Amino acid sequence: MQKEEIYERLNEVFRDVFDDENIEVNENTTSADIEDWDSLEHINLIVAVENEFGIKFNMGEVTTMKNVGEMVEIIISRI
Amino acid sequence: MNLTTFSFLLFCIITLLIYFIVPKKGQWFVLLLSSLYFLFYKDFNIGTLFYVLVIFLAAYFSAIFIDKYAHKKSAKWFLIGGIFLILSQLILLKYVNLFLVTINHIGSLFGQSINLEITPPAAPLGISYYSLIMISYIIDVYRGLCKPQKNPLKCALFMTYFPILTSGPFIRYPDMEKKLYTKHKFNYDNLCRGLIRILWGLFKILVISQRLGIIVDTVYQNYSTYSGLYIIMAVLFFTMQLYTNFSGSIDIIMGVSKIMGIELPENFHSPFFSRTITELWRNWHITLGAWLKDYVFYPLMKSNLIQKIGTKTKKLFGKKVSKKITLYISMLIMWILIGAWHSGEYKFIIGSGILQFIYMVFEDLLAPIVKKGCKKLRINPDSFGYKLYQCLRTYLLFSLAMIFFRASSVSNALEIIKNMFIFKPGFFTNIFNLGLNKANFVVLIFCLIILFIIEYLQIKEDVIEDLFTQNIVVRWILIYALIFAVLIFGMYGPKYDQTIFIYQQF
Repeated sequence: MQKEEIYERLNEVFRDVFDDENIEVNENTTSADIEDWDSLEHINLIVAVENEFGIKFNMGEVTTMKNVGEMVEIIISRI
Repeated sequence: MNLTTFSFLLFCIITLLIYFIVPKKGQWFVLLLSSLYFLFYKDFNIGTLFYVLVIFLAAYFSAIFIDKYAHKKSAKWFLIGGIFLILSQLILLKYVNLFLVTINHIGSLFGQSINLEITPPAAPLGISYYSLIMISYIIDVYRGLCKPQKNPLKCALFMTYFPILTSGPFIRYPDMEKKLYTKHKFNYDNLCRGLIRILWGLFKILVISQRLGIIVDTVYQNYSTYSGLYIIMAVLFFTMQLYTNFSGSIDIIMGVSKIMGIELPENFHSPFFSRTITELWRNWHITLGAWLKDYVFYPLMKSNLIQKIGTKTKKLFGKKVSKKITLYISMLIMWILIGAWHSGEYKFIIGSGILQFIYMVFEDLLAPIVKKGCKKLRINPDSFGYKLYQCLRTYLLFSLAMIFFRASSVSNALEIIKNMFIFKPGFFTNIFNLGLNKANFVVLIFCLIILFIIEYLQIKEDVIEDLFTQNIVVRWILIYALIFAVLIFGMYGPKYDQTIFIYQQF
């Protein structure tokens, strides 16, 4: 799967989780860039991404992931 | 060892002197010896040694075996085994009576009089802190966030590091690994900043918390005599007493650690300027909240059970409702645990747990309605007046829950709440007969104002750093004012020595 395709699918997941059709993520996007991305929504996002790509993040990754770029790197390494 | 006593001061001076005199590679060992002395000096017996050793050995060996069998199924069993051993110690020492009281209550519901009660041995100092710290250590090794500490003595230092034994904060191994074992040069800046932090902590405890405690104790111990406005005042004061006592001890701890060059994570961030209870808990006992988020809440939300509930409720009620249901279930479990962490008594589970959960659920459910209401009534949610109203409301709600924390039992708390609404005349003439005379009352109010100003400034900037950017005259005037405030207005004396730190008992 190409990186572009992963970002496209991630955008859909982000829009669905945060109920905002205008979200466009890139590798530098962090929780500070999306208003509702707090610790509660973070875990909902993680589960939604896992379901979308059929992968599992381990809890260490869940708590240390710093931006969307890191998330994409993990997704690439799992699929 | 009480943090505001001369013996603690002496202990710190000796530790610091040896710490900076010995060859740098031996500094961590000095810390270990001081920490073990701090842990055992008062109650060294076979029992205490046994509990501490079981927790240490369980964490030390399970971390090593988890690493050895990483990515294999057996790693999970070592993880479970380690956590089980640590938790069983904690449950045995702190929660057995909670289960027995529950059985008694259930029995009485069915007309059976069961009176099960045992007196568990006294829990060693700091067990609630280092148990959770060691659980997080083995989970972090399991999650691949750090390598296990193979040197048992260094591992023991991480577990028993003396500044955190009294009232936290919760430290994490990946964060502390480098700080604890590396060589630290004496640094004059660290000494100055550390001393100011210690002074600020002493000011909070000796000048403010002690005074508030006198009024709170008088009213809570005689709540039928002092009803109505007295109770309202004591309830509002207790929250502030708790905060100044707890955050003051954290200030002292952080200051001592800072002098040694070991920065600890902050545990408070001006909590009383929070506009909601949710926000308040992000700024209050921060490291406990973060611990529970990483090691309980997230795993729970990701668990198969919660995911299954989510899938089922999504089909029945739609995405939005389903999200709320799974969130609230996980939150409820987490808040019960936060309450129970304080102690195995229902008053804590209700006051610091379930009530906080209920507040947060209401805040979450009412948020869209409040937003619409503000729009209709043309209230600017960012105006000073509205923010002030939100901060006061948050303080009030939090204080109401803290009645359970301070009362001797749940029924005692309910009695106090009932008496809160019985008003008697003469409040303003009797206010100075509660143990604090007029002069002390004035000192208290004045110091509370100073506290609030500093707390407000602390929201955006580091006040201690700011102090050191001031010119030499202003800086020393402020430092001397703080020293004299502690020396002159601090409440010392034999009675005070008997007072324990509120968060030391957990």
